[in-house]
Amino acid sequence: MTSVIRVDHLHKKYGDFVAVDDVSFSVEAGEIFGILGPNGAGKTSTVECIQGLREPTGGAIRMLGLDAIRQRSQLRRRIGSQLQESALPDRIKVWEALDLFASVDQSGPDWTLLMDQWGLTDKKNAAFANLSGGQRQRLFVALALVNEPEVVFLDELTQGLDPAARRIAWDLIRAIRERGATVVLVTHYMEEAEALCDRIAIVNGGRVIASGTAQELIATSGTGVQVLFTTDAADISWLDDIDGVDSVTRDHSRVDVRGSGPVLALVASELVAHGIVPADLRAVQPSLEDIYFNLIGSDRKDEGA
Amino acid sequence: MSMLAKLTWIELKLLLREPFAVIFTFVFPLVTLVVISGSFSIEDADADFRGAAPWDYYLASYIGVVIGAVGMIALPVHLAAYAERGILRRFRASSIPTWSVLVAQVIVGFLMMVIGSVVLVIASRLIYGADLPGQPLGALVGFMVGALAFLALGLLIAMITRNARAAQAIGMILFFPFFLLSGAGPPPDVMSSGMRSVSDVIPLTFAVRALQDPWIGEGQNGISLALLAAMAVIATAATFWIAGKKT
Repeated sequence: MTSVIRVDHLHKKYGDFVAVDDVSFSVEAGEIFGILGPNGAGKTSTVECIQGLREPTGGAIRMLGLDAIRQRSQLRRRIGSQLQESALPDRIKVWEALDLFASVDQSGPDWTLLMDQWGLTDKKNAAFANLSGGQRQRLFVALALVNEPEVVFLDELTQGLDPAARRIAWDLIRAIRERGATVVLVTHYMEEAEALCDRIAIVNGGRVIASGTAQELIATSGTGVQVLFTTDAADISWLDDIDGVDSVTRDHSRVDVRGSGPVLALVASELVAHGIVPADLRAVQPSLEDIYFNLIGSDRKDEGA
Repeated sequence: MSMLAKLTWIELKLLLREPFAVIFTFVFPLVTLVVISGSFSIEDADADFRGAAPWDYYLASYIGVVIGAVGMIALPVHLAAYAERGILRRFRASSIPTWSVLVAQVIVGFLMMVIGSVVLVIASRLIYGADLPGQPLGALVGFMVGALAFLALGLLIAMITRNARAAQAIGMILFFPFFLLSGAGPPPDVMSSGMRSVSDVIPLTFAVRALQDPWIGEGQNGISLALLAAMAVIATAATFWIAGKKT
């Protein structure tokens, strides 16, 4: 796979305030890449630098084989973006916005198809101010796609949407990838990153504190596996001797085993060997959310020390 | 259609959908002109109105008011809202640069000034039989230079405030004294000497004189034209300097 975006040691200061300290990552062609982090982590500044909307104070960014800072005017037309905290004029109509954004491209792409695909045809003559949150987001995505971009930036696309509208937005994001574009998704919703992203960079305090696929992040986090079952057996002390088991706690019939590695398979086979066959044996994998709060939390502690 | 042409067309439609801008640009000057022109009779002419009939004197003054209303209120409030709400940034990210929005605003603002002025001329002719400009070419030059100076001021107010409420506050603070003292209120001959000395230095007075002198047949007002041209150049330069810095 080839890198579509390569960010090396990006640094961005506003006056004395360091928004992005040292951020490096690369985005491969055709993936949905998530940039995840709490508010004020430097996510938006990072993607705005990549898009050439802000001038970095340090570092290098290459996109689609070009220098994203010096050759930004050439890149502008090859990217699509939905910006956080941006808007359209209140009284502009849906079709007018699409028509205007399409006119930037000399070839004059046909926006009527896009309007149809994103379910905006009914709202064609509606003013921007009268659209619902979900309709606005659909319009922003349609506008980001109007020039058939190779890379699409979505910054907090689903913020402020209700859960149902958010699910619909997720389908839309997957549909963008289906069209062949690479997607950079900025979010602070863990669930969203886990559901959509092929790879994720977790940003905190202007630095990438972890990156990889959701599974890699979970595996390398050191957060173990939890095995749960119920049994009436009196003696289960032998569970402690199984490889990979760190702790066993018991509350009446409920047993909670913590460990790492293939601990579920080992516990299961030992249980069977001891004649215990619980119907409710299950393992709980740590979610990305656990990892995230773990990482952000330890990062904060480090800063405090 | 090119992007700039499309943007200008959409901006024109947007400004006409803005009730505040429409009322301030078209309705307010029209109503005020009709009322004040009707408050004086032809006997009041001569000295009070620079020797012209009251309606001829006021017609040129109120074209100045239209220029001021667009330049100090309609345009800056509209454009500052764009900066405030991230609309300029949204456009910029999609290859619609800020300068093209500014150019579209200037074209649209100029069109509104022209339409507003034509409405005043028609109304004043129909109601009071007001005269057309005595020196049409001179009046046209005066109108153009005054219009450009106030459009440039409008851009500057928008780029300094970047906030619709602040732009509106500054616009109103400038507009009302300019409106009352530039010739649209009491005629200069009935003003106190203090009022007159303020009137002599406010930019809208220059715009009114640059238009009124050729309108009532007194030839071109070179000083006013020069000052307006300087105002246009300085405000434009400052606008682009600020717009460049904020990118």
